[in-house]
Amino acid sequence: MEESRAAALEVYEREPVPTWRRSGFWTTTLRKLRLDELEPRHYPYAGSLDELPEVVAQAVDLDEVGGLIVQRGASSVFSYLDPSLAAQGVVLTSLERAVEEHAEVVEEWYGKRISADEGKFAAATAALWTGGAFVHVPRNLKVEKPLQIVYLIDEPGTAQYARTLGVVGELAECSLREYGLAPDIDGQALHAGAFELFVGSGANVKLAHLQDWGRGEVHDISTKRVEIARDAHCSWVPIHLGGHLTKQTLDIVCAERGSDMRHTGLYFTEGDEHLDLFTTDLHEAGDTTGDTVWKGALTGDSRASYEGLIQIAKGAQNTHTYLQTHSMLLSSKAKADAIPSLIVETDNVSASHGGTVGEIDEEQVFFMMARGIPRAEAVRVLVEGYFEPVVQRLDDESLEALVRERIAEKLVRAEDQVAEYSARR
Amino acid sequence: MGLEIRNLHVRTEDREILRGVNLKVEKGEVHALMGPNGSGKSTLANTIMGNPTYEVTEGQVLFNGEDLTEAAPDERARAGLFLAFQYPATIPGVSVANFLRMAVNAGRDEPIKIKDFGQFMRRNMELLKIDPEFSKRYLNEGFSGGEKKRAEILQLAMLKPQIAVLDETDSGLDIDALRIVSEGVNALQGPDMGTLIITHYTRILGYIRPEFVHIMLEGRIVREGGAELADQLEDKGYDFVREEVEASGAA
Repeated sequence: MEESRAAALEVYEREPVPTWRRSGFWTTTLRKLRLDELEPRHYPYAGSLDELPEVVAQAVDLDEVGGLIVQRGASSVFSYLDPSLAAQGVVLTSLERAVEEHAEVVEEWYGKRISADEGKFAAATAALWTGGAFVHVPRNLKVEKPLQIVYLIDEPGTAQYARTLGVVGELAECSLREYGLAPDIDGQALHAGAFELFVGSGANVKLAHLQDWGRGEVHDISTKRVEIARDAHCSWVPIHLGGHLTKQTLDIVCAERGSDMRHTGLYFTEGDEHLDLFTTDLHEAGDTTGDTVWKGALTGDSRASYEGLIQIAKGAQNTHTYLQTHSMLLSSKAKADAIPSLIVETDNVSASHGGTVGEIDEEQVFFMMARGIPRAEAVRVLVEGYFEPVVQRLDDESLEALVRERIAEKLVRAEDQVAEYSARR
Repeated sequence: MGLEIRNLHVRTEDREILRGVNLKVEKGEVHALMGPNGSGKSTLANTIMGNPTYEVTEGQVLFNGEDLTEAAPDERARAGLFLAFQYPATIPGVSVANFLRMAVNAGRDEPIKIKDFGQFMRRNMELLKIDPEFSKRYLNEGFSGGEKKRAEILQLAMLKPQIAVLDETDSGLDIDALRIVSEGVNALQGPDMGTLIITHYTRILGYIRPEFVHIMLEGRIVREGGAELADQLEDKGYDFVREEVEASGAA
């Protein structure tokens, strides 16, 4: 670990702050990020969730989960695991502790899919991470309640380097949630994260990511990778509901035969938020299946670019996978890019993709108004109806309710501009 | 009182479609508006409901004496106007039941009690021979033409308007569906509701007998009469009206 950190630090120091360009029209730049003014912040351990900023308790109900670990800034400040789960061999702890107490497992999987030389921020994370989270579900075990990880940023000037490692054993079943939460802070902050999940053969995992960094200036530059082994299944639902500037790479790898994944994402940007997502559905082996659906909505002056790649490697025959992405512009200044793409290096596969960028359908609005429903309510209902199939894929009642609530709040905040834009058209 | 259209001129981007329409529908009356395709029937229906695609260049839409020409569609609906669409929109993610409750509540000061709503909805679904399971489906998503039209009439039943405009409700319906829809409308028809049936064909008028028949050609109402006018149309087609109009130089 020491060595890998040192090597990563070298890369971090060497690499310049990147600017990402796509298709010649889209740029994500970190020009305005004052990286030297940000630093890791340390906090004391919290005895209960009440001792933490209320964004945590608002999003997490301790009775509902099988375990919870919270990192605030650079410190691991809360850790809970249902004793009956611990007794069965489930591990949910900080990655720092796991390096000591579960060295074998960590060594086997850490960094297998995310390396330090993927860019300045990947290197930063690899070199500078503290706290972190480690989940291990032993083989054959079915865990009913969700296992929860929370990364919290509550002060401007914070740099949070996060690392999560999840290992799910053969034939195990579980539900994992990782949230990024922040209140509306007044100033800049950075979350640079690396997330790796390894789904063992025959295992079945529900994975949800909820990013809600509030309406301050939180920057999120992260990479998340899920690897699915033989005959295993993972249903991954990333949800982006807040962040000043987000640049994320989300990869799902069907690494062995029979693996299957469903990747269903949702974003809703507002104000002057900037969202840049690149997802890859990678099939390294044949007889695998995938399904990617991303839906987004934009208000204010926000901008979102979603690039979704299906990549089928040589020899991965009899792969069947599909990708669709939709964005709904709700204000005159919002901008969205939807870029589905394909790299297919073998034959005898089926892969299709499609994308749309559009606006509220005025016919639907007129229809609803003709039934007495005012414009603002009609728009709200249509946007909620648009997201509903994606929200349902969470298959997680309380998280679904939380997401629906946030979407409704965003629509209320943007009500005037949405109504005005809709009426103008 | 009721619906009054006065000298209505309507255009879209390209051209003028309604060229001075006059029409009155009182509560308790059943009117039929007929005409060949392109005569402006749907434009009139949509303009009555305030579709922003159409621009009123002259004339008025009055309802119970109030000028609604500039009113938004939801205001018109809450005032007591209803339009059964020829091509109803699909509302994904919203079940029939939820949509109905939303629409019913839009016209009330206090939300309707869930239990009362449930009973009311079930009664109306029975009246229209709609399978109760239907209420859980997303509105109009994957519905057949007949199912969409029956969903429109279900909404009519739930909203109890004063004036109901049915825009080609009969199109795309088979005989059985047509009969069920007509029976539904007839059951709702009474002294408190006026009905304007807009149709191209005379078929529906066999089930819902109109007192007044208006024939539209090229954006104007050119002939008016009683139910027997519809019978004449059935026999002779629209040509006889065209000939009459040309002969009298009214075109």
